[in-house]
Amino acid sequence: MKKSILLSGNEALARAACDAGVKAFYGYPGTPSTEVFETGARHIAKLDDGRAAEWAANEKVAYEFALGTSYTGYRAVVTMKHVGLNVAMDAFVNSALTGIQGGVVVAVADDPGMHSSQNEQDTRFLADFANIPLLEPSSPQEVYDFTREAFELSEREQLPVVMRMVTRLSHSRGPVQPAATTLAPTSIGLPGGEDKNHWMLIPSYARKRYRSLRDKLPELVSNVGKHNRLTLHRGSRTGVVTAGMGRAYFEQYLQDNRIPPEKYNRLEISGYPIDPQQLEALVRACETIYIFEENYPYLEDKAIPYGKGVCTIHGRRDQTLDIDGELSIAKLREALEGRTVRGKVDATMMAEISGLIQVRPPKLCVGCGHTDAFRAITTALENLGIEDHRIFGDIGCYSLGILPPLSGMNTVVEMGASLSMALGAAMAGMSPSVGVIGDSTFFHSGMTTLLSAAKSHLNLNLVILDNSIVAMTGQQLPVAADIAPVLARAIGFGPDQIHTLAPLPKQTAANIEKLEKIFSEERPSLIIFKRKCIQAIRRKVYPASKKQEIQDA
Amino acid sequence: MRSPTTFGVIVAGVGGQGAITIAQLILAAAWMGGLHAMQSEVHGMSQRGGEVNAQVLFSNAGIRSPIIEAGTADLLIGLEPLETLRHLHYLGQAGHTVTASEPLINMDAYPEPEKLLALLHKTPNVKLIDTKTFATELHFTQAGNMVLLGAATNFMPLDESVWTKAMRKRFHSKSDKIIEKNLAALRRGRELTA
Repeated sequence: MKKSILLSGNEALARAACDAGVKAFYGYPGTPSTEVFETGARHIAKLDDGRAAEWAANEKVAYEFALGTSYTGYRAVVTMKHVGLNVAMDAFVNSALTGIQGGVVVAVADDPGMHSSQNEQDTRFLADFANIPLLEPSSPQEVYDFTREAFELSEREQLPVVMRMVTRLSHSRGPVQPAATTLAPTSIGLPGGEDKNHWMLIPSYARKRYRSLRDKLPELVSNVGKHNRLTLHRGSRTGVVTAGMGRAYFEQYLQDNRIPPEKYNRLEISGYPIDPQQLEALVRACETIYIFEENYPYLEDKAIPYGKGVCTIHGRRDQTLDIDGELSIAKLREALEGRTVRGKVDATMMAEISGLIQVRPPKLCVGCGHTDAFRAITTALENLGIEDHRIFGDIGCYSLGILPPLSGMNTVVEMGASLSMALGAAMAGMSPSVGVIGDSTFFHSGMTTLLSAAKSHLNLNLVILDNSIVAMTGQQLPVAADIAPVLARAIGFGPDQIHTLAPLPKQTAANIEKLEKIFSEERPSLIIFKRKCIQAIRRKVYPASKKQEIQDA
Repeated sequence: MRSPTTFGVIVAGVGGQGAITIAQLILAAAWMGGLHAMQSEVHGMSQRGGEVNAQVLFSNAGIRSPIIEAGTADLLIGLEPLETLRHLHYLGQAGHTVTASEPLINMDAYPEPEKLLALLHKTPNVKLIDTKTFATELHFTQAGNMVLLGAATNFMPLDESVWTKAMRKRFHSKSDKIIEKNLAALRRGRELTA
């Protein structure tokens, strides 16, 4: 038996996939999911047995990489944060109809409490919508075990399997007992016979595939059934449904408070689709039920119809728990006991502390080029006398530019929205209209807007903050660098519509002057603020320049 | 309230100060001491100068939750007084605090440091450490965090020997000289609360 090692949830997922013979890791970086890919890439470099790891331009492309690898009979992991699955949704939903060849594990990290995200969506609903099975672990060891199983399940059911992670699991480190062996990647071959047709979703084939997907439900329920455990105690009329971190918190609560397990009837869920009969059986055995699950009230909404007139169901719907935000042991205790623990800080002290402390907002690094870019843009607009000017923004480190004193953007919606919204506003008459996007976000979802932008005759100003790095998620190298001007030329931007500026303090005055001129033109412009990320320079992430390579050679 | 075998530590600071490194050292020490242990952290946006907290739980029984219930932590290590106060409500009634007294002011609305320190002085079981003096004393600019951790080790039920082991493992890629400097800072910290 191998020695136990300490791994974070994300690391455990990557290690399990490697041990299960995965051929490739694909993904797009996004907190809290990023380390799945990074650990996988590092580990396969060590294994050196013909595996691949490749960041894609966006999650949809990454998902399709995984489908292609699966088609060749190999196992693949595709990883992303929860909102990334929205981007990959077309591929995700249709992959349930095509089915898979080599096993596919879709590692999606949700972010309850929105520690570093723009929403709190629950991946269980997306998996449910796509009729794709999902496993929901609650410890690094379970992540490891479930991932290996997910590949087996994926190949047995010929469906992708989602591993639902959450921030607290992705970024929690704990002991993991790894398997004795690491399988080398092997292919089960290309789809043959009838399976060949599965991948061609023209209506006549797709109808059959859809029907067979629907018919598979009882089999899926039974196949994930061992992950869902109903425990009834004769003496108890109180039930608890737990899933994911809710399960971990509840068990810790029982352990720390020496509460005998017989006090509660329990339904523990970690495999989806669930068996509704288990919920019904729990409801029948109880007068009161508490439901502890991360994010949306998924299980709760399934339980409520069974509970009508039979038992009271407490969860997020009846406000026993907040509808939004992360679970915690304190929230569980408050739900179950109607009180929280009194610690060192009493009410008087708490009031004194609250009166004194202030939120410490994250901010751009001291010396970051984005600061100089935002200063130039906002000052140019002010100098032009644009009253109440608005700037369409996007997602990345530079999102921090929305905060005062920079106040450099007025919208943050989703990846790529800046440029399209700026064009939409320009079409409605905003002039000048300004959209600001990072280079990696541009490759992810901004490039396509250039096509429409080029043929508009509007005062539209598309600004790329180009640091040639995916800075926010820990400085990954983007899929491409320095191609925006060439692309813009090919699409129809003239050379005098493309401007490259250096966001440096000493250049700010000159940049303001140039921007004032550009912002006064009734035609689309592409403005590239080009400067490397100071964190990435410090960490030596950038590849050596060609000049450097020549010198080294 | 808490099972006597479970020990919870919160390390609070500002992104980039080294809270996560300290938490990982505690995790490694507990693990090398043969205990069950889990550690968690929140990063992402918080990398950019925002508030960060990392938590460690260890026990001779299993640990299921990587997060400490508010009001039950046994030890709070604060790298900066505002962040220490922000996380004080995590502490249990008998919990201890070891905190740097030097503020990290990277925001306009930072409260008057004297008021923060006055509140901390009023709290039972708080050890305030002027970390920057140790950089000079130990000729080591990053000594502060290790002095804090050293001072905190006296409040954790772990053998002294595991700390040296954990430090050597964590900094194995560094030179012997750097490891020795860190160990010296850890020992200096231990003296402060011995």
